Parts: sequence; structure tokens; C-alpha cells
Amino acid sequence: MKINDIPVIETDILVIGGGTAGPMAAVTAKEQNPDLNVMLLEKANVKRSGAISMGMDGLNNAVVPGHATPEQYVKEITIANDGVVHQPALMAYATRSFPMIEKLDSWGVHFQKDETGDYDMKKVHHLGTYVLPMPEGHNVKKILYRRLRRNRVQIENRFTATRLLKDPDGNIAGMIGVNTRTAEPIIIRAKAVIMATGAAGRLGLPTSGYLFGTYENPANNGDGHAMAYHVGADLANLECFQVNPLLKDYNGPACAYVTGPLGGFTSNAFGERFIECDYWSGQMMLEFFKELESGTGPVFLKLDHLAEETIEEIETVLHTNERPSRGRFHEGRDVNYRQRMVEMHISEVGFCSGHSASGVWTDETGATTVPGLYCAGDMASVAHNYMLGAFVYGQICGESAVEFAKDRGEPKLDEDFIKQELERIQAPMKVADGIPPEQMEYKVRRLVNDYLQPPKVTKKMEIGLERILAVRADVGQLCARDPHELLRAMEVQSIIDCAEMAARASLYRTESRWGLYHYRVDYPEQNDAEWFYHSRLFKDENGQMASGKRPIADYLVSLGEEKDAYRKMRVQKAANG
Amino acid sequence: MKTYDDPELQAIAVKLTSDDPGIRRVAVMDLVDSGEPEAVELVIHALNDPDTNVRQEAAKVVDEFEAADMADALIAALGDNDEVVRNSAAHALADLKDPAAGEPLLKALDNSTDAFVVSGILRALKPLRLAGAQSPALKCLSDGDPRVRREAVAVLGWLKQTENLPALVETAQRDEDPEVRRAATGALVYASPQQVGQALIGLLQDGHWQVRCEAANSIGKLNHQAAVQPLMDATKDQLWQVREKAVDALGKLGSTDSIPVLGECSKDAMSNLRKAAIGALGAIAHSDCRPFVEIAMDDPDPDVRKLARWAMSKLDAAA
Amino acid sequence: MPIANHHSSVPVIVDEDKCIADKGCTVCIDVCPLDVLWINEATGKAHMKYDECWYCMPCEADCPTDAVTVNIPYLLR
Repeated sequence: MKINDIPVIETDILVIGGGTAGPMAAVTAKEQNPDLNVMLLEKANVKRSGAISMGMDGLNNAVVPGHATPEQYVKEITIANDGVVHQPALMAYATRSFPMIEKLDSWGVHFQKDETGDYDMKKVHHLGTYVLPMPEGHNVKKILYRRLRRNRVQIENRFTATRLLKDPDGNIAGMIGVNTRTAEPIIIRAKAVIMATGAAGRLGLPTSGYLFGTYENPANNGDGHAMAYHVGADLANLECFQVNPLLKDYNGPACAYVTGPLGGFTSNAFGERFIECDYWSGQMMLEFFKELESGTGPVFLKLDHLAEETIEEIETVLHTNERPSRGRFHEGRDVNYRQRMVEMHISEVGFCSGHSASGVWTDETGATTVPGLYCAGDMASVAHNYMLGAFVYGQICGESAVEFAKDRGEPKLDEDFIKQELERIQAPMKVADGIPPEQMEYKVRRLVNDYLQPPKVTKKMEIGLERILAVRADVGQLCARDPHELLRAMEVQSIIDCAEMAARASLYRTESRWGLYHYRVDYPEQNDAEWFYHSRLFKDENGQMASGKRPIADYLVSLGEEKDAYRKMRVQKAANG
Repeated sequence: MKTYDDPELQAIAVKLTSDDPGIRRVAVMDLVDSGEPEAVELVIHALNDPDTNVRQEAAKVVDEFEAADMADALIAALGDNDEVVRNSAAHALADLKDPAAGEPLLKALDNSTDAFVVSGILRALKPLRLAGAQSPALKCLSDGDPRVRREAVAVLGWLKQTENLPALVETAQRDEDPEVRRAATGALVYASPQQVGQALIGLLQDGHWQVRCEAANSIGKLNHQAAVQPLMDATKDQLWQVREKAVDALGKLGSTDSIPVLGECSKDAMSNLRKAAIGALGAIAHSDCRPFVEIAMDDPDPDVRKLARWAMSKLDAAA
Repeated sequence: MPIANHHSSVPVIVDEDKCIADKGCTVCIDVCPLDVLWINEATGKAHMKYDECWYCMPCEADCPTDAVTVNIPYLLR
């Protein structure tokens, strides 16, 4: 079959995104049924793509028997997210967490072990032990790539997906996209689709002003969030932004989980700890933000009290994994961990369930609200998933997609829609005298910083939305001189979608929740009576962006006394408050 | 030369016969993208290339393939005259984790003298936990090279056999290299306190602080009750890192005798030590701990206060 | 609207004497998540064509001849 002379590629299972969750999903589908055609589509190159392109230095959420139970984990993540979680999805992660570690271990991923070969779990705080260091975790991508080849997954690099396709019954039918080097469109028909496109990391603008100096790998710009919205899937809790602590100007993570077990900590200008909160949460980020703005700020990573051997160990881990250019950044500023504390800051805002809780709504089977469409990793709404959660949900989605595709015939394609989309893809290269994608991107992201970054103020967000919509009106003027610029032009349209979603979702929830993530100055209190719900964002029958509430599923694990203990923790004064 | 059905692999095979080592090198890199199982043959071929750069490249990509298919070639590469090649081969071997590779590894160990090669083989043997590795590993404990001794300790630690304890204790006490002593001290946790407790107590006095930390850690893991007094002494160590580990271990042992020294530590200038001390007092949860925990409720360090609140809840529950 | 070109100091440097792109090597170009490295038609060697760098380092780490150096972008330095 051809549409506009473009051959339609056929596959059983299509996986979009070859970072962490995507390869696991593709390998799982092949393991389930080696006869299936499984295609993995990646915007960059699977060898080095996604959030862990240079590896990962540890697991923050390993639920290992003898150290933590799934029930404990579910309870803690529920508390850290102020109750707004889908516990069945958390429980599915928690129970599969350890088998996944064992699977990765058998594949050759290096987890830290003690001298007798047992996992060397670290206790970072007193409430549970979930940290498993990976000082030699730089080979994760290589191992995934090896598995993909071994299982004969068909890999298509340098294609970006632009829209998902549905059949007349509303089931998923495939996707349309474009080659990032040739600008040739691609149409794929699939019986089930798994999206694993990562965070929406190019939403806010980093303080350095460098468009690509983001916390997230900037290839993760929210394409999946935008595509899910346009195909009619629900998104959840988008107002729960991601804001993370990081080194000032250098977008490397703060690494409390690396340095913590070795005695390092986050401090204020006087070298004192100030964080009251014991969970990685918006509450913790609110404390961080307040300290930054206070007279005892800014905030630092303090290591200068550690022994030489310990600092060497920290340097080896931090400068070889995840963000290895960190050492070079410090050298350039003459910063040595031994002699001075390292200035820290907060990241630009984004959507990322790996660290917070927003994303495309997914249940415990990885299913979205569109039949046959599954999501995993940083883009899916399962809270606090990190890398291990991406692997677990990649696996879950792989299993679910195989089941969905099992008895399905060839999905029918909507040719009119495909032709419209082909026009949208081809438009920027036909504009000679227009607005380059870089300028439009800078503008919309600058608006996100000015109007949507917390603390959130209603009137400012209303203005921000109006200004973002004005940028949207300019999309027809986008121009691209080559296929690479076309990629950026398609990306900026996703970024605009995400910015509008961020504004509308934030305006919808008229309370404060999740600490800094959704801190509304004019609605400063958490209001459980009205807002103990997931917020929904979706395309309504008129094609308009709409919001709604989704009830929270019954808890599998009740919170009991610990919830109160957590509340008590919050009202304590800061050290120098 | 053999021909291959897969056109891409065939094209690579042709390039590998080029006179230009630069082209052969690039061909090796292309092998990584081949899904054909036969690509491994070409990697092995390239590991024996006359040009060092080509061999290095082949060694760099070996971990992209299933190492079991090339165990012999990797072991041979451990003896390459180029360090990059040897290193990569050693790493790939360590990832093997395939019991089928056990026999060739043991044979290679028997025939090897070079310290780098021996330690690489030991590292690969470690996760396999083969009974046959015991005797060569014991022998390697007296090797002249600390890298070999360190890997031998790991092999024995992972084997968890009671009969190796005397040798590991001996190494922990007498080895001249601190990292070897530290590893051996950590390996003793598979024993019972009766078997290694006295040795671990002695190791609290080791000349190197990281060995002392490890000893305290191992005592805690083993719950060696007879070590309360020595651990209390260790809370006076000159380094806060050792004191912290001793305090942690005292919390695990749970003896009320240690409450006064833990109380001392809970007032130390170093906040990491205060944290550990309050944690230990909370774990013991005896009413005598309460005065120290009460003071810590107002500690300037929020981590200490957090632990104090937790410790207080433990005290209340125990009361 | 007319379009102007503006200069930008780019973070990734390729040593053309060491680069073996002319022998068919495309490692750095393949591994870049942002696709900013391309072959320079004039020299046959790799170069940074677009100033859109995440300084994530695979291009440097994976280069077989150590020809690539990743600097921190000037705005962050």
C-alpha cells in the first residue's frame, strides 16, 4: 500500500523511542513471541540515545527483599506525592523491581555488590533502603543494544514520529513521521504501539540561556506528550512539574544519592544541612527553593569534609557516568571538591514522571486511554519511576502490546488524516522567508520561564497562556533550510503543545500540591476536599484542549501513621529559619 | 576466505581484508551493527589482526557480543602485548557469567603467570562461583601482585565456603596492601561470629582507616555481641568516618552498655557522626537513650532532628 | 521576514589529523543524540555543524582515534 507515493511499512509491534524503556519493551515483545515483527524507531541512534546515553550511577528505587518491601515502597511514594498516585501501578513496579534487577544483572549490567556477591544496598535515610549504587554503570546502553540485536528487533534510527494513527474504531493503527537527515516521511502501520519518548525536557529555559543545556537529554522534548494528546489519549497531573536540584549552570544532577552514602550533603552557604524533607519530592524542592532565595543561600554540594580516598571515589563515579563532562566543567571554574563547596541551583521546569508524577495517563498494564497504545518511562504517568521503573514498565508494555496485537487483523488507516499530516510535515521546508525554529523555540521557552515557572500566579499564567497561543499562531511562518532544521521545526511544535498543556493544567488545579511543583501563591493550601483527584488533560470532541478529574483508585496500601509523621516533618523550622 | 549470506556482513568481511589498517579498523566498528551471529567470527579474526589499532578496536567492541561465543579468544587476548586489548578482554570476560566458560577459564588460569592476566581471569571466575576455583584462588592469596590477591579474595568471598575462612582471616590481618586487607575484611561476613569475631575485633585497630571502617561494618552485619567494648573504643578513633561506622554497628548490636558513648557521639561537632549516633540510640530504644534524643530534637542539623523524631517514636513505642 | 546568519563558537572540536571519517568512520556522527555532527564536504572529516550540544560525550568517548574533544559551551563555562 502507498499513500502519496510513500510506501506503508507494516509491523506487528511498533516501539517509538530507543532510550531505556523502549529497548526493554522491544526485547520483551520478541521474547514473548519471536515470530512477531517488532520495530524500534529512534530519533537519534539507539546506541547512545535517551536519558542514560552515558550510563547511570545508581538505582534510587530498588525494592530488594530484606531491605524494603513493595508495601513500604508504595506507601512512601504515595506520601511523597501527596496522595495523588495510582497505587496499582506503583505496586506493579514494586513487585517487579527486584526480578528486573536480577534480569539486568544476568545481562551484564554492573550493580554494586559486597565482597560475598550480595547486592550492596545503601541506606540514604531512615525510612527505607532503596539505593543500589552502580559505580560501573556506564555499559547499560551497550547491553541493551546487544539484546536488541540478539533478539532481531528491527531498528530504525534517525526517524522522528510526528503523529499517531487511529483506525475508525478508535484503536491505535500506527504512526507517521519523518527522517531527520533526508526529510523523507515514513508511514508505519502497527497492531500495537508503545511510546517511550522520554520527558518533555525542552519546556523551560535553563538559567544559562543555552537552549540545549537542559536537565534532560534535549532530544526528549515532549514529542510523545504532544502525540498522545493529538491522538486523543488522556494526560495526567501535568501541573506537577519536574524541577530538580542541579549544579549551577551545569545541568548535571545533584547526586545526593551518590554522595549521600559516602557522607556528602546539600548545604546552605554556611555548610549546614537545611533540608527537612526525607523524600525526593516537591516538598523537598520547595525547601531548596526557599533556601536559595534566603539570606543563608545559595545552596551548595558539600564534600570538602570527606577523606581523600572518598573524594577520589566520588570523582570516579561522577566523572565517568551519566554526565561525564562534569569534571571538565569544574576544571574550567577551578572548582575542586576538596577545597570548596559546589554551587547548586534548580533546573528549568519540564514534565518527567521519572522524578515527579506527570505524563500520559497509564495504568498498571502500561495502557493509555487509547486501545492498543502503551506508554513507559519518563513520559508515562507512573510516579517516581526513575531508570528501573522505565525498565519495568518497558517490560510490562511489551507484554501488554503482544497480548493486544495477538488476534488483531490489519488496522485500517485514515488516508485523509495522513495526507494532512504529510502537508504539516512538509510545510516548513516550503517557507523561504520565515521564522527559524530556534527563534520560535527560544521565545516559547522564555515565556514558560516568565509565566509558568513556580511559584505560580493565576494572572501571570493567564497572560502566559495568551502569549503562548500567540506563538502558536506563528507556526505557519516556521521555516527550515534543511532536514535538520525541519526536525527542530517539528520539535518546536511539540514544545508549544507542551507549553499550552503546562499552562492549562496549572490553571485548572486551584490549590497548591506537590511542594514547589505546583505551588500557587494565590491558592497556597492543599485542598483535599476538591482536589484529591488526578487532573486530566485531553482533546475534547470539538478538538479543544479540555481538563477534568479522574478519581483516585482505592489504595492497596493504607498510609496509617506515617502520613502524620510526614505532615509533622513539614512544619518544622529550617535550621536558620 | 569464507563468504557470508548476509550482504552487510559480507561487505564488512571484504573490508577486513583491506591492506589499509584504517579501513580494517572501521570495518571492525561496523561489526557492532550486525545482528548476524556469525559477526562474532570476524571479531575473533580481528582480535588477531597484525595491526595494534585494529586489535584495540576489536577489543573495544567485544563487549557488544555474547562473550560466551569467544571465551577462548578473549582469554588469548588477555596475553596481548597491548594494554588496551588486554583490559578490554578482561572486562568482557568478567561480564561473561556463563558457566560454560568456567572450564576454559580455569585452564587458562593454570597456564598463566602474568599478574594482569591472572587477575582478569579471577574476576571472570568470581560470579561463576565454581568449586574448582577454590584451590587456585587460595594459591593466589600469596601472589606477589596485590591485584591478583585482591581478585582472589573476591573469588573466595563469593564462594562462601567455611574452609576458606582461615586463609581470608590471615589475609585480612597480614596482607601488606590495605585494599586487599579491606576486601578480605568485607568478605568475612559470610562466617559466624564465633569463627571470625576475634579477628574482626583486631582489625578495628588496623593502620588504614578504610580497613577499620570495613571491620566495624562487618561486625555490625554479623551482630557479633562480644564486640561491644571494642566498638565503644572505636568510637574514639581519630577519624570521624571510623567513629561513624562503629556507632552504626553499635546500633545494630543493640547493647544498652553502649548508650553513654553513643550519647557522647550525639554531641560531636561532626553532624554526620551525630546523625549516626541518634540513629543508633533510636535502634536501641532504651529509656536511657531519651535524654540524648531529646537534646537532638533541637539539633541545628535537620537530618539529626529528623532522626531524633524517628528515634523518639521508637522510644515512645518501646515505653 | 529576511533571515541573517549569526556566528557561534561551538563546543565540539575535531582534530582533522586524527579523524578517520575519510576511511568510512561515522562513529561520532552516529552516536550524537542531537545529530549536530556532520561530514565537512570540503575536508571529508567530521565537524560540528549545529550549535546544539548537550556535552554528553559519547562522540568523544566512542571516537576510535581520540580525535574529538567536547568543551563546555561558552554560555555555561
